[in-house]
Amino acid sequence: MDFFQATLAFVVLAPGAMFVSVALAWMLGWSPGERIISRITGVTFSASVLGVAALILKLGWTHAPVKVAFGNWFTVVDYHFPLVLVADRLSLPFLALTVILSGLIGQFSATYLHRERGFLRFFLLLHLFAFGSLLAFAAGSFDLLVAGWELVGITSVLLIAFFQQRGAPVENGLRVFAVYRATDIGLLVSVFAMHHWAGTASLAEGLPYLSGNQTAAICLLLLLAAAGKAAQVPFSGWLPRAMEGPTPSSAIFYGAISIHAGAYLLLRIQPLLAQSATASTAVIAIGVMTAIHGALAGRASADAKTSLAYASLSQVGVIFAEIGLGWKWFAVAHLLGHATVRTLQFLRAPSMLHDYHQMHSAMGGELATDQRAEELLPEALQLWLYRWALDRGHLDTILDRFVIGPLIRLSEFLAKLDNLGMAQPVTRRQTAPLSMRTPADERGR
Amino acid sequence: MSELRHVFTCLAIGVPWLAAILVAILRRQERVIGFIAALISVAISALLLDTAPAHQPLSVALMLLYSCLTLLAILVLPKRDCDADTVTGVLFLLGATLLAYASEDLRVLLAAWFLTASPFFIGRFFRAETWRPRMALAASCIVTATAVILIAAQGGGMSIDRLQGRSPGGMAVFALLVVAVVLRKGIFPAHAWVADAAEGGPLIPSALLLNGHFGAFLVARVIVPLFPDVTRNLFPVLSYLALATALYVAIRALAENSPRRLLAFIALSQSACILIGLESRTPEGVTGAVVHWFVVAVATMGLFGILRLLEVRFGENLTAGRHLGLGEHAPRLAVFFVLFGLALVGLPGTLSFCSQDLLIHGTLISHPQTGVLLPVAIAMNAVSMFRLFTRLFLGKRRTGFTAMVDALPRERWILTAGALFVVLGGLFPNAIVRLGSTGTGEARTASSVETVRPVRSQ
Repeated sequence: MDFFQATLAFVVLAPGAMFVSVALAWMLGWSPGERIISRITGVTFSASVLGVAALILKLGWTHAPVKVAFGNWFTVVDYHFPLVLVADRLSLPFLALTVILSGLIGQFSATYLHRERGFLRFFLLLHLFAFGSLLAFAAGSFDLLVAGWELVGITSVLLIAFFQQRGAPVENGLRVFAVYRATDIGLLVSVFAMHHWAGTASLAEGLPYLSGNQTAAICLLLLLAAAGKAAQVPFSGWLPRAMEGPTPSSAIFYGAISIHAGAYLLLRIQPLLAQSATASTAVIAIGVMTAIHGALAGRASADAKTSLAYASLSQVGVIFAEIGLGWKWFAVAHLLGHATVRTLQFLRAPSMLHDYHQMHSAMGGELATDQRAEELLPEALQLWLYRWALDRGHLDTILDRFVIGPLIRLSEFLAKLDNLGMAQPVTRRQTAPLSMRTPADERGR
Repeated sequence: MSELRHVFTCLAIGVPWLAAILVAILRRQERVIGFIAALISVAISALLLDTAPAHQPLSVALMLLYSCLTLLAILVLPKRDCDADTVTGVLFLLGATLLAYASEDLRVLLAAWFLTASPFFIGRFFRAETWRPRMALAASCIVTATAVILIAAQGGGMSIDRLQGRSPGGMAVFALLVVAVVLRKGIFPAHAWVADAAEGGPLIPSALLLNGHFGAFLVARVIVPLFPDVTRNLFPVLSYLALATALYVAIRALAENSPRRLLAFIALSQSACILIGLESRTPEGVTGAVVHWFVVAVATMGLFGILRLLEVRFGENLTAGRHLGLGEHAPRLAVFFVLFGLALVGLPGTLSFCSQDLLIHGTLISHPQTGVLLPVAIAMNAVSMFRLFTRLFLGKRRTGFTAMVDALPRERWILTAGALFVVLGGLFPNAIVRLGSTGTGEARTASSVETVRPVRSQ
């Protein structure tokens, strides 16, 4: 392993190692202070930024990607799970984005979450998220990408439910988790289908060779996963719910990294997409619909974070359309610029509101607003669009009515079926908890 | 060497039974006696595994696994449950299960099958309050006994190794054994008793009963080796039933609010995947099934144990219908619960990620439609698992009782050991994967599926 391979391994593994060591220390009873945590985070991500800079220089100098092969995670006969990391022209910008923004978010959060009860939990999840993202972006095979992808999903959900004392964030976290798991089926099945059809799911050795229909099927399955992760139509309903998390996590997840992971996946399979007109058209259609949906729903949002989330969604929709059109490097540039600016906007949002209110008071009345483009439309259409935007395109309503509702009703029907012939549903004898037991209860034992 | 192995096997089985008698007579120091007996079984099983012949590491590995599960159960048993009858029953169950795993003769296997079910018929031990668990266990015993009698009537001997590949008793015996698997494992349409046992019976002993996975053991040890020709044509029926179970109970769990039932459904759905993998007859599927067996056993035992600890601390009227906020009171139990829960449903970095990867891959080769539907069931289980976690541990801090302790040291250490198994097993899975691929070699080669593997593209 040469210097650059070791550097790539360090960049990807460092946040994971930090997560494991600090979590294990906590389980054994050590509670590190805020200063120690923020310093550990700062040092980890600073070193990672230097590492990525070295990798970028190497790539610029030699034009050869850096690959690290750790062997196979496990092997059964001729099936193996390769552990290969790759830093190439596509993955390096994403690695750089992840380590720079994670470091910045870490420094911002040290102040923003000062004396917050979940301070340690937030930083642990930030490290786990960074590890998952870096793993997904540097994965040399789709198998490894799945592992990183799932870690990003679970940390995202746990951060949405960060303020666990309130019911709404917890329920929203559950909803997001359900959408992620449902759409991740597309990723899982596509990876297994690649193994089944092509005998490999490698990225490091180039994309697998597939026939026309197989290519279309794989691309559509991956599009399902990408659309779920990037909150594209029809899965956009979870995005405003995800705003329940702390602002720094909203910034890095839904302004920068997580929401662009879907676009990264499509960029990775862009050569396959180019072979399938069906899949490319689907990507463009979803992107355009999402861009319009985001633009409209964002205009009717009442709070700053949700407006920003929809603005972000709209841009990601445009990026999807660019990928579908085959403008790969244009999409990469758009994505990097968007992620950086949007993170700044998210982080600025709380203080911006404060500034706005101050300015509002100083002006002694409402601040002037620009004329809105929708005022040019007929009033009836304006009203219809307003209702549509206010209910966020009815996407959640449709999901509730046609997917979740029937599933719950089916579940309840099956419960009745199971209890058919039973005199009464099975219950058990209950005893009081230890803390509520009276001496009489104890004597009763 | 062989005789020495027999002696050690007898010791592994006999020590828990002797300890059970001791506890029943003394009726004190139950946990200490139970712990020592289970620890001895663990040590002997580990020794046996180390020197196991190449053709039977699975049976010995299962002995080690079950001894570890019993050790976990005895340490996690709350003080309220740790009475002489419970510990006697648990130790008796351990001895009987080890006897089944070690059996090389169908008559011994049948005896063990009866013995493992017996504590669940006796009121002072683990009898559930409803009839369905008793009915299912009794029916499975009768069906297995009929199959064994029919094999005996053929007169070809009763040794499992000698009967390999001879399809003793033909279709009738094969069908009876499949029915026994369906009944004992809780496969659709005989699935309802599992939730009843968890809901109406003692939780930790019921978890031990389910984690014996006798149905899967019968498939791996008896059905596939003995009936290779029949399994090639008719075995997919069992696979489809297992898939139906995985999907049915996964949907059923979505609206269930009783934590015990919900957990039982998730455990059942995940353990049905073991049968699907065994039936796939591909190296990946069979290995995945064995590895999944280990994960499901450890993770569900941990989850049931934590649930029981919560019931004892916070009352048995726990529900998944609203947020209980118990995480504020018991943060370490919450962390263990989410870790075991996500490990059960395939969190990357845990052993189940590897097992499910292999399972789905292997199944996709033999039955593409099953391979596609399996991730759907697993995804629904993941949602139900996360829902249970959020409802039990998150939400507004529950008040109305005095401060409760988090995990006690004995609970913490054994749960940490279980968590380390699923995490380290996930990070370094090769030892367990190798065990899975060698341990079921005979089962796989007996009726391996013929597939055309694609040429690796360059």
